[in-house]
Amino acid sequence: MSNLWNLQDLQGNTEIIVAGDTIPAMFWQAAAQRADQVWLRQKELGIWRSWTWQDCANTVQDLGHGLMSLGVQAHDRCAILANTSREWVLSDLAILCCGAVSNGIYPTDAASQVQYLCQDSDSVVLFVENDEQLDKALAVRDQLPRLRHIVVFDMTGLQQLHDPMVMGWEALVERGRAWGQEQPGTLRARSDACQAQDLAILVYTSGTTGKPKGAMHSHAGLVYAVRGFNTLARQDARDDRMCFLPLCHIVERIGGEYHALYTGAVLNFVENPETIPENVREIAPTVFVAVPRVWEKFYSSVMIALKESSPLQQMTYAWGIGVGQRIAERVLAQQAVSWVLKCQFTLARWLVLNNVRKLIGIHRARMLISGAAPISPSLIKWYLSLGVPMLEAWGMTETCGASTAMTAARIKPGSIGPAAGFNEVRLDPITNEILVRGPNVFMGYLNLPDKTAEALDADGWLHTGDVGEVDADGYFRITDRMKDIIITAGGKNITPSEFENELKFSPYITDAVLIGDQRPYLTAIIMIDQDNVEKFAQDHDVPFSNYASLTQSQAVLDLIQSVVDQANAQFARVEQVKKFWLLDTQLSAEDEELTPTMKLKRQLVQKKYAPHIEAMYRS
Amino acid sequence: MSGDQTPILQLLNVESSYGPIKAIRGVSLQVNAGEIVTVLGSNGAGKSTILKTISGIIEPRKGSVLHQGQDITGQDPAAIVQRGVSHVPEGREVFPLLSVHDNLLMGAYTRQDRDGVARDMAQVYAYFPILQERSGQHAGLLSGGQQQMLALSRALMAEPDMILLDEPSLGLSPKLTLEIFEIVVRINRERGTTILLVEQNAHMALNAADRGYVLENGRIVMEDSCERLREKDDIREFYLGMKDDSVRTERRWKKKKTWR
Repeated sequence: MSNLWNLQDLQGNTEIIVAGDTIPAMFWQAAAQRADQVWLRQKELGIWRSWTWQDCANTVQDLGHGLMSLGVQAHDRCAILANTSREWVLSDLAILCCGAVSNGIYPTDAASQVQYLCQDSDSVVLFVENDEQLDKALAVRDQLPRLRHIVVFDMTGLQQLHDPMVMGWEALVERGRAWGQEQPGTLRARSDACQAQDLAILVYTSGTTGKPKGAMHSHAGLVYAVRGFNTLARQDARDDRMCFLPLCHIVERIGGEYHALYTGAVLNFVENPETIPENVREIAPTVFVAVPRVWEKFYSSVMIALKESSPLQQMTYAWGIGVGQRIAERVLAQQAVSWVLKCQFTLARWLVLNNVRKLIGIHRARMLISGAAPISPSLIKWYLSLGVPMLEAWGMTETCGASTAMTAARIKPGSIGPAAGFNEVRLDPITNEILVRGPNVFMGYLNLPDKTAEALDADGWLHTGDVGEVDADGYFRITDRMKDIIITAGGKNITPSEFENELKFSPYITDAVLIGDQRPYLTAIIMIDQDNVEKFAQDHDVPFSNYASLTQSQAVLDLIQSVVDQANAQFARVEQVKKFWLLDTQLSAEDEELTPTMKLKRQLVQKKYAPHIEAMYRS
Repeated sequence: MSGDQTPILQLLNVESSYGPIKAIRGVSLQVNAGEIVTVLGSNGAGKSTILKTISGIIEPRKGSVLHQGQDITGQDPAAIVQRGVSHVPEGREVFPLLSVHDNLLMGAYTRQDRDGVARDMAQVYAYFPILQERSGQHAGLLSGGQQQMLALSRALMAEPDMILLDEPSLGLSPKLTLEIFEIVVRINRERGTTILLVEQNAHMALNAADRGYVLENGRIVMEDSCERLREKDDIREFYLGMKDDSVRTERRWKKKKTWR
């Protein structure tokens, strides 16, 4: 049982565990090394089932032969439109093992977006999850002349469908098995022919502005990145991972799937995006990589549970978390933790903190890793106070995941850690933009040489668009996205994300967008957390009927005002938010205002709600 | 139905539960005089609980019920009937061993004006002639539809200014349902009785009512005039069963409800 004051076992591992310089080579090698160990776990009809490496290798082989029997050539593109699942991972590996290129599509994307992504990537085979996703594909297939086959993971409800283009996943496995028996070894030959410099995957950036861009990653880049990850935070076959973020996003793809492929950590799949809170408790991951939104949700669920508990429980919690805080402060200041404090902490864990960890499902976690979006330092400190090390990593689609990462030896909340040993990170001397160079940096954007040239300069430095600073220890800190910086009418440069993160730390606020470019003062568009605000309304007898009436009720406005006031207190006068407006529609990932990772799209929100913004600037 | 009048009935943040199970979680709604308002929702959404809370059968844990601006939360059901709020419970609940006539008199139990009772009795028989034909028979011998007519008539006998109507279409043929709804609308138009109608038959309810609330898991997710509710995508798909067919002829998967 590790504690914050002894995090030695979180050292990285620099040896190469599995040989192979392409993903297929690495997969076949790993499957041979770990034949009977369990790799994937997923629920079937509510009961957990396990698949060993050998099982996975067999399925990938059959699927790969199946794809070859359908005429998929090396370098062809195949797309996957599904929620995170075992089938996703195996299909992805089968595509790569055929020497083809794999391209993930968000299951929340609309049919028109599916059409764009398939067309842009030139996909010949499309894997879809079920009838719902199939309908999107069928609606746009007339516009996709290159698309030849659609493979459906779950054929429930589709038995009556007879369409020459559509086949079930199981049917493809069967077909591949028969085909492979006639010409054994063809898939392995295809895998062996695969070159490290070949294009492996396309990751479309969520595109807060304009059309999504397909970032191209080579096998070499992927292999280099996962080996690099293990030098930062080691995991191995004893670790349990929870696979739940969309696999088309870089974090779960590289940090989840490929890192587990390399290290042998067990991948446990959630049932669906709605069951994440229950599934975390069942799985109790030992290494837990998630995005800030998830960490915020966990925190607010604990806060809610706390409000409903007895005064004695609340007092115990306050004492326990206080002890945790004192330890976290000492560890952060690199001071020794006294034995008295250690004893108190053991008691605090036994009395309350272990239960809080269990409530979330992080009671077995060796480390928590947060990435993909900025996280509030207060939130990191809260997890540290529970005694669980939370390390922030920073990277982007174009850098194949993490480029800088917090080290367990020296944690500085609010910073994104020093540059990872496997790539170079520096600041642009003029603009302070963060630049990254290394083999993990992407090959460019598909079909967009101009955009590629904008991002990658002649010396191979990737211009990330994030503006930052670096301290004497080499720890980087992001101040903002370059294009998000607000210059008020008074000429003051404001970096909105700092204030926004402070707001998001409140359990009542899910997301916020600061407005103020060329305006006399700052305002904010705020998206409330429905569950928590409803709970607040009920507890305080605030009448409301639907979501819109909730956002218009005076008591809720006062509540959010108090959160804004608290945040304002930490900022200088010109950086304070004078007015705000609460989004009055309940948004879901399907809506255009949100990215698939549930972040508000700044530009779009500003355009769409322009009248409300104008209203905030009318006196 | 102007907004500045005091609504005849108002619920403010009402929470009711059966033991530890919360059935409605913070419901606020209002009914103006002379309106027909409907509450739609699936099984277990908490529709009947709302009516039971209004009529005083269940005491809410939180929140208040206002009748003509006065707080009647948790008052004795009998007192609430005397204020002019009659409840037609789900499943009719007529007195099976009393005659039809006596059932109607039970409805008028709290009234003193014999003339008024006789006049209402005549009017009820005019609405439902079949009840007059069978007035001497035990109510238990009536058909389901006739029992529903009787239950509605019994409520009218209390001379209410407001009727809480719980699933009048339960177990009735489409034809009888239509008849009952026609009478409900007629009662509202002729007598000016305000009606709060709880229904699973969304199609009928949306045609009969002026305004509607949609209840899901004990919470109101939507409120609007019935005309506008009928046009909402979620209502069309989930309550009226009209879904746009997909590219394939049959669609099995359900859209996500967004309630907007």
